[in-house]
Amino acid sequence: MANGLVIAAKATIVNGSTGDSLILIIAFILLLILLKHFAWKPVVKMMDDRQKKISDDLDGAADSRAKAEAMAAKRQAELKNSKAEAIQIVNTAKTNGEKRRDQIVSDAQTEASQVKDKAHADADQVRTEALNSARAEVGQIAIDIAESLIKKDLDTQDQQNLIDAYIKGLTNADETK
Amino acid sequence: MENKYQYLTFLGLTFNVANCLSIILTALVVFFLVFFLSRKITMRPGKRQNVLEYLIDFSNGIVKSIMPGDEGKPFYFYIFVLFLFLLVSNILGLFLEIKVNGFTYTKSPTADPMVTMPLALMSLVLSHYYGAEKYGFKGYLSNFARPVGFMLPMNLIEEFTNFLTLSLRLYGNIFAGEVLIGLLVMMTQGAGLSGVFGSIAAIPLMMVWQGFSVFIGAVQAYIFATLTCVYFSRKITRE
Repeated sequence: MANGLVIAAKATIVNGSTGDSLILIIAFILLLILLKHFAWKPVVKMMDDRQKKISDDLDGAADSRAKAEAMAAKRQAELKNSKAEAIQIVNTAKTNGEKRRDQIVSDAQTEASQVKDKAHADADQVRTEALNSARAEVGQIAIDIAESLIKKDLDTQDQQNLIDAYIKGLTNADETK
Repeated sequence: MENKYQYLTFLGLTFNVANCLSIILTALVVFFLVFFLSRKITMRPGKRQNVLEYLIDFSNGIVKSIMPGDEGKPFYFYIFVLFLFLLVSNILGLFLEIKVNGFTYTKSPTADPMVTMPLALMSLVLSHYYGAEKYGFKGYLSNFARPVGFMLPMNLIEEFTNFLTLSLRLYGNIFAGEVLIGLLVMMTQGAGLSGVFGSIAAIPLMMVWQGFSVFIGAVQAYIFATLTCVYFSRKITRE
């Protein structure tokens, strides 16, 4: 058996078929060309593309993360601002309302006092007028009473004087009219 | 081992029909395997594309383990095809053996020095080419006298020993595997040990040896690709 091995090995080397080498080189070079064209280029291109895409995506993700964080911070700040603003608005409204209330109250008070004063003045006037008219009437009544009393006691002379005076008064009254 | 081969003579060259057929078969298997795997290339890889990308990553890893960085990029494709070709050709003879009229027509093509030698030659010629491309022809020649002048004969001898060890290591491993398989086949046919007992004993042995041969074939393909990378890197770097 060992003998057979040696013989086989010898046979392979001695009968070395140089054509096989040629065939191998041709086949291998053809294989290289065909595989490069049909498989290697598209696959490697895709692998490179994928690698590029992944790194781009990672960069993009980092970017959007940073953006989102900035946005969140901004929102937070805005929220705080708007809270302060709201408080300010409420405060302003409160002060405004108080002012307004005070003004209304004071206005009402002044108005009321004015009305009161006016009423007082009116009342005084009415009383004065009433007194005056009452005085005049009382005077008239007194005169009438006096007249009716005097009619009996007056002599003609006096009566004449009185009549004159009266006529004079009438003329004066006419003139004034 | 009574493998008989048919020989053809053409233009003064001798062709071993079994080797030629096996080489062509191997090339076809590799091509259609990769071709089949590389259909429908998409950004989100499917099953086939994943397999192919795994293979590519693996062969790229062989190059990267020797030449990390961009200097290894031109060799990725060559190493990929070399590795697949060797893997298929090393394993081909393990499961496919066609005999017609006593003549063998398929076997592992790498079980023949006439096949492994041109493979090693191709790798080494490529390494010289890349060396000359990188340093210019003068620089390439002066690299033989590095690191010191008296190393010149040693470096020249090394080129031949590289060639011989690269080709004959592969040939020896695969050829030995084939020889042992042939012996075991003979045993199952009752030609080796005594009759029925031999056949029964040979079957598990054969299974074990075939499994081991697959392992050896893969390891030898890996070693061949790695050493090719080593020779490339030696030619394109100066100590």
